[in-house]
Amino acid sequence: MEFWIIGNKAALLFYVIFVSYSVVRGASPWVILAFLSYLCANMAIPVLRKQKRLQLLASVASAVLVALFAFRINTIFILLLPVNLYEIVLMSGGRNRFALLLGLVPLFLIPDDEAPIYLLAASLSLLLYYGMRVHTEKLDKIGEEKESLRLELQRLKQSLSTNEEYIRQSGYTIKLEERNRLSQRIHDEVGHSMAGALIQMEASRRLLHANPDKSSQLLGNAIAISKEGLEQIRLTLKDMKPRSEELGIHRLRLFADELSANHSVNVSVTHAGDLDVITPLQWKIVHENAKESVTNSLKYGGASNIEFEIRVLNRMIQSVVADNGRGADKVVKGLGIVGMEERAASAGGTVIVDGTKGFRVTTLLPFQKGV
Amino acid sequence: MNVLEIRNLSKKFGDFIAVDNMNLSVREGEIFGFLGANGAGKSTTINMISSLLRITKGEIRLLGKDIVKESKFTKMNIGIVPQDLAIYEEMTAYENVSFFAGLYGLRGALLKERTEEALEFVGLGDKHKALPKSFSGGMKRRLNIACAIAHHPKLIIMDEPTVGIDPQSRNYILNSVRKLNQMGCSVIYTSHYMEEVEEICTRIAIVDHGKIIAEGTKEQLKSIITDTKETWISVKNADRLDLDALKQISGVNSVRLEEQTVKIVSRGEINNLNWVIQVLIRDQVEISSVEEQAPNLETVFLTLTGRNLRD
Repeated sequence: MEFWIIGNKAALLFYVIFVSYSVVRGASPWVILAFLSYLCANMAIPVLRKQKRLQLLASVASAVLVALFAFRINTIFILLLPVNLYEIVLMSGGRNRFALLLGLVPLFLIPDDEAPIYLLAASLSLLLYYGMRVHTEKLDKIGEEKESLRLELQRLKQSLSTNEEYIRQSGYTIKLEERNRLSQRIHDEVGHSMAGALIQMEASRRLLHANPDKSSQLLGNAIAISKEGLEQIRLTLKDMKPRSEELGIHRLRLFADELSANHSVNVSVTHAGDLDVITPLQWKIVHENAKESVTNSLKYGGASNIEFEIRVLNRMIQSVVADNGRGADKVVKGLGIVGMEERAASAGGTVIVDGTKGFRVTTLLPFQKGV
Repeated sequence: MNVLEIRNLSKKFGDFIAVDNMNLSVREGEIFGFLGANGAGKSTTINMISSLLRITKGEIRLLGKDIVKESKFTKMNIGIVPQDLAIYEEMTAYENVSFFAGLYGLRGALLKERTEEALEFVGLGDKHKALPKSFSGGMKRRLNIACAIAHHPKLIIMDEPTVGIDPQSRNYILNSVRKLNQMGCSVIYTSHYMEEVEEICTRIAIVDHGKIIAEGTKEQLKSIITDTKETWISVKNADRLDLDALKQISGVNSVRLEEQTVKIVSRGEINNLNWVIQVLIRDQVEISSVEEQAPNLETVFLTLTGRNLRD
């Protein structure tokens, strides 16, 4: 932008020099002084790039100088004024309309025969100024957009790594829970029967010669207890499958119950298909999206009925939150919806928000079969 | 090689997002179906591909070239059959086609040859001099297609080309789509009629609220929902049935009898109906009707989006 302004000024200056020399043969020292001081003031502007206030001051000074020269030496100097005026408007962040008006003011102060050429110079400069300003603003906007995209990317990366951490954590937690459960059951059931059997066998050995009948009876007891213990071990091992799906759907039910208790809405939960295939991470996404949709339903929808529905299809998990509220013909994406989309996208899924019959938010998450 | 590639495409009208970060590619030699309810973003996408609408974000590449930067190349290689008829009623059929072909840059003898070829192709070869005013709806549609293909485009986009026409013309149009495809054209086809899409498209994308929800061959799309099918056979003398023999047939997952109907669940990709019927005949079971309960695209669409295609 700067270069264009400099170019604009230079072109006008050359024209002014040309005119003042062709009209008045031989330059008076005053004219040369005027040219040089104009050059000085305007050279200062790009040099003072870092100090905005001084820059503005230089531009104002140049404008005053030009006006002064125009009155005292040669009216042709007035041609240099508009660029400075526009520059001042630009630096102080004023409106374009203001620049136009400001550029027209000197028109009333100059003689009539100079007016057309002034008008030409002023409008050409204005055109250039306006075009440049539009372009610069566009550039700035693109720059800003780029920056916000970069930030967004960073945030997404972060949330991805948080999710990874969550998977690792939940894997670890499940393992830990399972280990606790196993040791508890071994201690409570298997341990007790083993101890019982051991005591009976010990007693049987003592009585082996003194009372063979009693001894054999005790041995029989020990065998029965051991058998029972063995059966318990088998049961414990059979039960070992982790129940993340139970946790998932139970948590959703709990959430639904809380909702109907705390707000005046009916909430129902239905599910179909094999919930086993849903991983903890996918449950997390389903939960968070359900929570987000419910917030939306309660806040904007004015709903009295909310339905949660989880269906496991052949290749996709479909979680639907539907309300009977107002809905919206055209859904405007707020942060909430964007958040849901991002969560779903982190697992390769999509979110559809439909507002035609109440709000209906569908989260679709693909899954690999047999993994 | 991808004929068309759409990357992160978005279109906003003010606050409203009509197309939302769409990613899609159409391969060479495909008939690509675009399935979605009204207002799903199909036409907006097509209008962006044909540069009628400005792209808000993202890019579209035709044969590897950016359609915005290479707009001339794009126009030379795309043929569009718009939803609303784009023909001049006051000009003859021949003049209509040669006018549009001329816009694509054809001149002289080639223009004449291609115009005749296109008219011949859509079966209007003998109606050269007739005015479209006198045409039926189906003939107008065919003329509309002729206008779009005379310049031999690589990609033809047909936006609901069978709306409001008689079944005969419809068949004619579907057949010509197939023929164009065999001649090496890739086709993008949108329609409300699920059966049409199911019949002619090699790959299909389901669009809703400006997003692509699912994409694939029709078998892949169906398998999102389920990979089994149910065959319902109503019989007259259910007591003669040998359910165990039916269970032995390959591909059969389960068999149950409800009143006078045997319901057989089997793997979707297997065709075992012959065997089932053989067993029934062997046991002298009298069959009164056979019904296949396989998912079609309509059910896939309904299940995934929760709405009907004609909502």
